[in-house]
Amino acid sequence: MDLIFDFLAQVQASSNYLARWDVVLALLVGSVGGVIIGAIPGVGPAVAIAILLPATFSMDPIVGLTVLLGIYGSSMYGGSIPAILINTPGTAVNALTTYDGFPMTTRGEARRALSLAYSSSFFGGVFSVMCLIFFAPVLAKVAPMFGSREIFLAALLGIILVVTAHRKHTLIAAAMACFGIWLNTIGLHSASYSKRYTFDQSWLSGGVNLIVVVLGLFALSQAFTLLHGDDEKVRLTKLKGSFFQGFRELARHPRIAGVSGGFGVIMGMIPGVGEFTAQFMSYTYAQKSSKRPEDFGHGSSEGLIAAETANNAVPAAAMVPLLALGIPGEALTAMMLSVFYVHNVIPGPQLFQNEMDFVVALYLALLILNVLVVIFLLVATNQLIKVVKIPNRFLGVCILILSFVGVYSLRNSFTDCILAAGFGIFGFIMKRMQLPVVPIVLGMVLGGIMEVKLRSAMARVKTPLDFIDRPIAAILFTMIILVLILHFRRVWLDHTERKTDEWQTSHASTSFAAILSRRRTFILTERGKKVRGKRKTFSRRLTDRR
Amino acid sequence: MSDDISEHPDRPQRGQVLFAALFLICATMLIAALGSQTKWLDGKDFFAQPRFWPAIGVGGMVLFTALHFWHLPRKPRRLPRWMREADWLQWAESLFWGALALALSLWLGPIKAAPYVFLVATIRVTWLYQHWTDRREAKVWASVVEWAGWFLAYVLLVPIIGYLPVTVAFTLLLTWRVGYRDRIMMISAVLFAIAVVLVFKSFLQVKIPGSALYEYLPGALRSFFILNF
Repeated sequence: MDLIFDFLAQVQASSNYLARWDVVLALLVGSVGGVIIGAIPGVGPAVAIAILLPATFSMDPIVGLTVLLGIYGSSMYGGSIPAILINTPGTAVNALTTYDGFPMTTRGEARRALSLAYSSSFFGGVFSVMCLIFFAPVLAKVAPMFGSREIFLAALLGIILVVTAHRKHTLIAAAMACFGIWLNTIGLHSASYSKRYTFDQSWLSGGVNLIVVVLGLFALSQAFTLLHGDDEKVRLTKLKGSFFQGFRELARHPRIAGVSGGFGVIMGMIPGVGEFTAQFMSYTYAQKSSKRPEDFGHGSSEGLIAAETANNAVPAAAMVPLLALGIPGEALTAMMLSVFYVHNVIPGPQLFQNEMDFVVALYLALLILNVLVVIFLLVATNQLIKVVKIPNRFLGVCILILSFVGVYSLRNSFTDCILAAGFGIFGFIMKRMQLPVVPIVLGMVLGGIMEVKLRSAMARVKTPLDFIDRPIAAILFTMIILVLILHFRRVWLDHTERKTDEWQTSHASTSFAAILSRRRTFILTERGKKVRGKRKTFSRRLTDRR
Repeated sequence: MSDDISEHPDRPQRGQVLFAALFLICATMLIAALGSQTKWLDGKDFFAQPRFWPAIGVGGMVLFTALHFWHLPRKPRRLPRWMREADWLQWAESLFWGALALALSLWLGPIKAAPYVFLVATIRVTWLYQHWTDRREAKVWASVVEWAGWFLAYVLLVPIIGYLPVTVAFTLLLTWRVGYRDRIMMISAVLFAIAVVLVFKSFLQVKIPGSALYEYLPGALRSFFILNF
């Protein structure tokens, strides 16, 4: 009972943060803007957040973060619209929605698919926020146990998980993470006042700004990709009727929705794992436990529920490592970290201990956001789907113009713009090669954290074993070892599987000459065996003697 | 186009080898500069050395990119027949590389010479495994420089002419450049440009300097323009 009263008092205290006109405006802009951005294929939340980031620096932390969180949380709602209607995911994480959403559209059930996507997204979002609000007191107790070495190990775990999550591209992902670590070291080393990789250039001595890299890699490269490509013809079906039926259908699958939400929350909390793993696990679970697994991929409502619930449960959970430890688990939260730094609010155990109101206010904002988004979608879907028709190259022009605001407003520096353009070209090449760019950003952020934390942790460590003598450090270390072992096992299994496939698919030639030649070899070997058998003196077969 | 580069083991996907090689070459040059660009301070803890993290960064770049390069599906270039059959050529080449490595290590010392030897080897291997699709892909990469140029020109002109006029002009020109000619696109381009300026400069007051041209405007209009557009 006390717990509930405490909780209500907490909510009361945090609502003071939210009862301001600018926060309400931020909520509205974040939710509506996020849905629109998600609904346009080609503009993801990463592009939007990268562009808006410098603009939020002048706002209060809660206002700026609400806008960014709004975009992050609601873009996936919007992303499901083109995924279902035209088989193109609006944001990268909606890719799994196309598997079951688009087949439903082709059989004339677009409205059912959309309303199911909205309702399961809503469930996922609300479920994860609820989980985290109730967990917050527990987290506040655990977070102070994280000292320098634990945070270092958690960041290391995050980087390893990000790298190993890129299956089949692990090596280049690792190289990119190291590239990020190196980028972060450029400039003046604050602890020793020595220059690192500045090549005696004054513009490099301040280091490479994270926002410049992010804008280049996400926004400018996307603009280049769109400008380089062609427009796509889009044909939309008219939708009639209300979108409320999805909630009724969702209520018939409480188990799948609950488990997928759970996967989303857990995977979101582990740094470096994120939406894709959560979706994959919940989709596999739904398929294995379904009565009709053969429907998956052909318009199964359960598959749609699993995918959409899992990905919408992640954003709230992804804020946990960011707020409690100061460790971002993915590119978007890494960008949000810079908002904290600009305002001198250092996320970490102290924030969770001393400013619980702020944390709960953020979660409440996310909760309100989900409600706003669903109301907006239920009312305005028919108008909203028109944004899908914006031609790609025009979109490229728009992103290019908007990127300028992001880069230039940071320091009004032309060199920043040149660097961003360089990273834009690099990102464009990476996109064309389908290689991962996210490890660069995480390498930069986590590399910086690891450098500081390792230095302060090693000051108190005498022998290597001292490093893991505290329980949480030991657990984290075991997890790192476990992840590495599992990864190498996976690599080995993939290798053997590929080799078996290669052997199985290598056919013998069927040409006449080849058949004759094989026949000849066979006869000669057989004959050879016989002759050798006859001439054997020392080890004659026992049967011969009898 | 497949998502997976190893789907066609005997046909390299365009550009993969070239990208890996270029990245590896850059990383190797960075590792060669490690000694001159970072310091090793005496009496400081190993993990607190200013060289420690850059070394992990560039070392990891070289190691993992080299392994990635090694694992790429690739196909050696088909040399002309006389080259394939000339034993002396292969002998001569091996001897040449050996002599170069020896000379470099005598000149710089074995540790300092190692990255350069590796660099030369990388370039040689890249030449061997380069595919004609790589060269076609490189042209596509170069074509993007045009858009980067547009962006930089835009950045250069804003402080001179002013945010509002340059944004409107650039959106229009770029819309024209990418191939739209109809009135609807042009009008939406202008509206978009004005909306961007109003939202970011007038409403959010984002830090973009007032232009040099606005200085010539009369009295009150001047400060209004500098502040809002």
